Amino acid sequence: MRVLVVEDDALLGDAIQAGLKQSGYAVDWMKDGVSADQALGTETYAAVVLDLGLPRLSGLEVLRRLRGRGAPIPVLILTARDTVNDRITGLDAGADDYLLKPFDMGELAARLRALIRRASGKVELLLQAAGVKLDPAAHRVLFRDNPVELSPKEFAVLHALMLNAGKVLSRAQIEDQLYAWGEEIESNAVEVHIHHLRRKLAPELIETIRGVGYLVPADKAS
Amino acid sequence: MREQSSLKKRLLLLALSTVAVVWIGAATFVYFDAREEFDEVLDAHLAQDAALLSAQITHELAELETLHAPLLHKYARRIAFQVWEDGKVLLLHSDNAAQQHLGDAEQGFSNTTMDGHRWRVFTTWDDSGGYLIHVAERADVRDELAQDIAGNLLEPLLFSLPLLALMLWVAVARGLQPLGKLAAEVERRDPETLTPLDAGAAPREVLPLIERLNRLFARIDSTIQKERRFTADAAHELRTPVAGIKAQAQVARAAAGEAERIHALDNAILGCDRATHLIEQLLTLARVDSVDAGVAKPCRLRDIAAGEIAAAAPAALVKGVHIELPEGDETAVRGNPELLRILVRNLIDNAVRHTPSGTTVQVGIGQKQGVATLSVSDDGPGIPEQEMDKVAERFYRPADTQASGSGLGLSIVKRIAEVHGASLRFMQAGNGRGLRVTVEFWQPPRDNAAR
Repeated sequence: MRVLVVEDDALLGDAIQAGLKQSGYAVDWMKDGVSADQALGTETYAAVVLDLGLPRLSGLEVLRRLRGRGAPIPVLILTARDTVNDRITGLDAGADDYLLKPFDMGELAARLRALIRRASGKVELLLQAAGVKLDPAAHRVLFRDNPVELSPKEFAVLHALMLNAGKVLSRAQIEDQLYAWGEEIESNAVEVHIHHLRRKLAPELIETIRGVGYLVPADKAS
Repeated sequence: MREQSSLKKRLLLLALSTVAVVWIGAATFVYFDAREEFDEVLDAHLAQDAALLSAQITHELAELETLHAPLLHKYARRIAFQVWEDGKVLLLHSDNAAQQHLGDAEQGFSNTTMDGHRWRVFTTWDDSGGYLIHVAERADVRDELAQDIAGNLLEPLLFSLPLLALMLWVAVARGLQPLGKLAAEVERRDPETLTPLDAGAAPREVLPLIERLNRLFARIDSTIQKERRFTADAAHELRTPVAGIKAQAQVARAAAGEAERIHALDNAILGCDRATHLIEQLLTLARVDSVDAGVAKPCRLRDIAAGEIAAAAPAALVKGVHIELPEGDETAVRGNPELLRILVRNLIDNAVRHTPSGTTVQVGIGQKQGVATLSVSDDGPGIPEQEMDKVAERFYRPADTQASGSGLGLSIVKRIAEVHGASLRFMQAGNGRGLRVTVEFWQPPRDNAAR
């Protein structure tokens, strides 16, 4: 999952980036409102962590522009202001959730998971498809109730596919979710991850739609 | 404890004593005036009595049987007369008249003492020249009469003074009612209410008082508002570094590798340093907010700058930044040396923070047309033109800044400049980039600059 962090404070931004990486996210970090606005206009993110007090363009304005473009990305705002009015203003401007500074990194990651799950229209905590159970919070994957060891990138690819079970994801779309901006993308990395996933799990779990992308079929049950 | 003076009591006492003094003065004048009038009238009477007596003597002396004249009136005892034949033989006298002469043989008025009393005497010779006549009157009669008249005038004062006091008390109370109302209004206020007092209904005499009070209220109000805003801002500003420290610590705890853990821990420590710096700057600002130049004494700008540069240079060199102070004349300004050091320290700190490694921070000291100037220029990204007037605002940080300032340094500088009646100018440094901050000390520091 690729998320955008917008925070002008160097130490806090650095910590959020590192912490979310630990939770398996690919993280882009922008330090002012204008570059955040540009990134949101060009890149695809699963969620945005947005500080409100930003230089050049306020967090609220970034949010308004984002919603003005009709983008449905879940947005969690970080605020140092804890009056009810501040929260109302943030939520009304299009935020989905907020956290008051200082916050707990675990809570931030959990809230992001909840936001992403809700945005995908899923209700269950565990994603299931073809005998594979994926727990986004615990970063665990079970195949026929046996734990399977996956690398963080492999987990991220599987997570993206299972979150969109029944839909075809292009290689570029998967790559988008894997790499933060500026990160080196190895060519045919996605193919390698898919290959490993098929080997560790069932070969028929992920179907290749030649020339289009990959697909995890939706469970008959769900 | 000294008793609180009462305006009412004071007015009352003043009014009453004024009335009493004027009244007593009038009575005294009446007394002396009456004495004079009585003297003339009674002297005339004495002369007339003497003339009457002399006429009697010449024509009817043989028929006078009694040696002693009768007493007919309460004042009569105080009149005496003597008739001397040829001025030697006492022929006739009133019973209170002693044997010896009441006066000398000289014709006219004279004073004498008899039986311990003062007497007024009129002496005359009858027409034939055979008899010397003395007619005398007790002088205290005259005093008594004058005293009676003056006393009659004073008596009502004695009765009317308490009445007057009562009426004056009521009048003064009514007169001071606007003051009482004002006092009650001030008393009724709770300490949070700082709306101005209504000056419209107040008497002219207390208008300056109300105006001063209202100005004081306004100033306190703005101070309190500023204080509240500052406290709120400070609390919020502290949340971000604390959030950074907490997040870094949690990243360190969850770190998979040693390098990641060390990086996060280092950052957490850096965060603590930054929070400390922010707290120190907040405290400094709070302190300079509440001072005035106070103990203004001559301060040598060059000495102060050199001292601060020496203190800041080692840390700047680590960053690869040189600080320069070109040679020049010494310039003295009047001010608080402690505050001026803080001002210079913050300007240098600010410049070093924002200038990139390998550049130089220029500190300039000069004087032109009686204005001492101190300027600090950096080679950093500078401030966009449209944000120049915002730089000294509290917690302002320029966009794209890589520096981690508190956002308070220039606010502190601005406040200290205000205290010294100095003006602050922000402009681009000479090379088309960077920021130059110039402090212009208008000498001597203007009065009330502190406010």
